Amino acid sequence: MSLQEQIRANRIRTAIVLLGFVVLIAAFCAIVGYSYSPGLAGVVGIVGIGYGLISYFASGAMVAGVSNAHPVTRADAPELYHAVETVSLAAGLARTPPIYLIPDDAANAFAAGRTPDTAYIAATRGIIALLDRRELEGVVAHEISHIRNRDVRLMTIASVLVGVVALLSDMLMRMAWMSGNRRRGEGQNPLILIFGLVAIVLAPISASLLQMALSRRREFLADASAAELTGDPEGLARALAKLRDDHRPLQRVTRATAHLYIESPLRDHAALRSSLGGLFDTHPPLEDRIRALEESGGFRLA
Amino acid sequence: MHTALLIALAVVVVLLVWFVLTFNRLVRLRNECAQGFSGIDVQLKRRADLIPNLVESVKAYATHERETFERLAEARARSIAAVTVGQAAAAAVLMQSALGGLFGIAEAYPELRASENFQRLQTELSETEDRIAAARRYYNTTVRRYNTMIQSVPSNFVASIGHHEPREFFEIEDAGDRAVPSASIT
Repeated sequence: MSLQEQIRANRIRTAIVLLGFVVLIAAFCAIVGYSYSPGLAGVVGIVGIGYGLISYFASGAMVAGVSNAHPVTRADAPELYHAVETVSLAAGLARTPPIYLIPDDAANAFAAGRTPDTAYIAATRGIIALLDRRELEGVVAHEISHIRNRDVRLMTIASVLVGVVALLSDMLMRMAWMSGNRRRGEGQNPLILIFGLVAIVLAPISASLLQMALSRRREFLADASAAELTGDPEGLARALAKLRDDHRPLQRVTRATAHLYIESPLRDHAALRSSLGGLFDTHPPLEDRIRALEESGGFRLA
Repeated sequence: MHTALLIALAVVVVLLVWFVLTFNRLVRLRNECAQGFSGIDVQLKRRADLIPNLVESVKAYATHERETFERLAEARARSIAAVTVGQAAAAAVLMQSALGGLFGIAEAYPELRASENFQRLQTELSETEDRIAAARRYYNTTVRRYNTMIQSVPSNFVASIGHHEPREFFEIEDAGDRAVPSASIT
């Protein structure tokens, strides 16, 4: 897939995600309106849409806040800065993305932002200490590829919208419990209530499925274009191997932001890891990604 | 009869849309090539700006290396005067061999290599070299895409109408690339 095709596909997917979000919110309102009261539906609708709008415009900052990432200057992280600057030039970006640092010993990195002009690259202290210059450049190239082909917009928006849906369904779930005790026996259509409950349960699942569908294949694509950008697939492969062997868990991690990172931050969290054998993973196994790089570059890691 | 007319019309419309899209894509690629070259140019200028300071710092220790300094001065002048891709690339080759000579001298002066000023300049230079290499990679990739589109059927018809000419790659031989010992920045 060429870069232009990728960008176009991402634009369409972004539109679908936003549309899907509006439909979900509308469905929530309808459910609430039917099973409780129309007034409450209005409140939920306004909260949902308003929160969605704010998230759309502030998504980058929100993700940074949630991940505890702070903007830093060249002097704070010279190696990272140099890598970002070099790879941006190789990618022909109009602007060098700012860098954010996460004060955490775990090794991970991500890119976020709504447009290439507002995107930034965040890395943990741990990854800068763990990787050498070549490997860090590979990781940065992976993130810059996400920025260049508009993955980050889709992924950042998806992560905040998934957050909104989770919030709403949580709210509804609680309301269902409370009103279930209060309004039993009144002239209410039980079918709608059941329907509503099913939807409330399904919404977060569908949201997280969506989030994964967005992310898994594009990790391979970003790896491939990163190798092209640096001309050094081995550097990235070595970085991935080091990430694979490093098991320090990231402190601030949520399901909503997991898919943004270069490797799944949930991997080292026993509590957050799903037991459904790969179905709910946000990332393909690092082994597979390393193998893909080895095949394309014609080398083998020792 | 009516359907035949409609089909013909549809074909014309499709062709027209294809023509416009291809034309615009060529224009965009041409602009990206120009932008890519100016990206290299900025970095080359930055490197040229480092040369006087570098020469000064070496002169403080090695006074009898006039020939090397002159070669550097000439390479710098050519690099600044370069307008076309070919000129800039030729100047870059010259610059690299001149810099190779300068660092060869530095090998013979341990005090120079230990000097903080020299080390700082060396780091700065090697970072600039990285950026030149990166900008060159972007430019060459873009030129390859542009040239391929100009030369392949059927987009070459559109290219000839829009007066698109294949662009020159920014090529520096590998031998020149290796001439500058890169300071290790870790």
